[in-house]
Amino acid sequence: MSAGLVPVLFVAVALVAVGAFVATWKRDLSSALAGLPLMFGGAGVAFAGAARFSAAGDPKIFGQEVAVLLAVAALALVALGVGIAGRGTSR
Amino acid sequence: MDSLHAIGFYVSAAISVGGGLLVAFLPGRGPRGIALAVSGLGIAGLYASLSADFAGLVALACYAGCALLIAGPRYRVVDTPVGFAWRQAGAVGAAALFAVLAYAAFRGDFVSASYRGGEIGTAAIGRVLFAHDALATEAVGALVLVALVGATAAWRARDRR
Repeated sequence: MSAGLVPVLFVAVALVAVGAFVATWKRDLSSALAGLPLMFGGAGVAFAGAARFSAAGDPKIFGQEVAVLLAVAALALVALGVGIAGRGTSR
Repeated sequence: MDSLHAIGFYVSAAISVGGGLLVAFLPGRGPRGIALAVSGLGIAGLYASLSADFAGLVALACYAGCALLIAGPRYRVVDTPVGFAWRQAGAVGAAALFAVLAYAAFRGDFVSASYRGGEIGTAAIGRVLFAHDALATEAVGALVLVALVGATAAWRARDRR
């Protein structure tokens, strides 16, 4: 069993699509925020996969760097969204 | 990628995508937060199977934070005025996005190469983050600062009411 760049990109695309689905399907805007980390995670997986299977000889860590930045940005945006949505009603 | 990493990759992919679908369909903020945490666990596993261990650790922490925010007591519901038909159109658009991107990934002409990964490499990533791409790191740091200040201000404004 092996996995190359194409399965990695498939999974990344699936994560982005599931995130977009969550963001559009949920009626509650706060619930739709949960789609944001999924889409960012898909983008990060694509970057990490491209770095993992890049043609250069040395290990490329640019993709890992972008994945780290995307994860932190996703957390910050969810925190901001939940904070802004604080004027709603608890459920 | 050897068989062990490949098995870990496919299992993590199933966990992450399945957790994402559970986020879409589970009712209640608690189960949704747990599903988001499960999806984050899968994404961290994906990073680990791609020899990006440090990114996996950071993603694990960040997605746990996202899950706590979604499932926590500070969560509030904000209903959108967009109707069911528009939301359904958006969901169909997400499916179309998946189809287009999957076709692009399948038809793409990629170069196959070997990789000497396997170590966490925090020092190398730190050098890239704080030396080579310091501006991007500063931008994300500013985003985190603005997000935390905005969230704190919003929470305090609600508590005063």
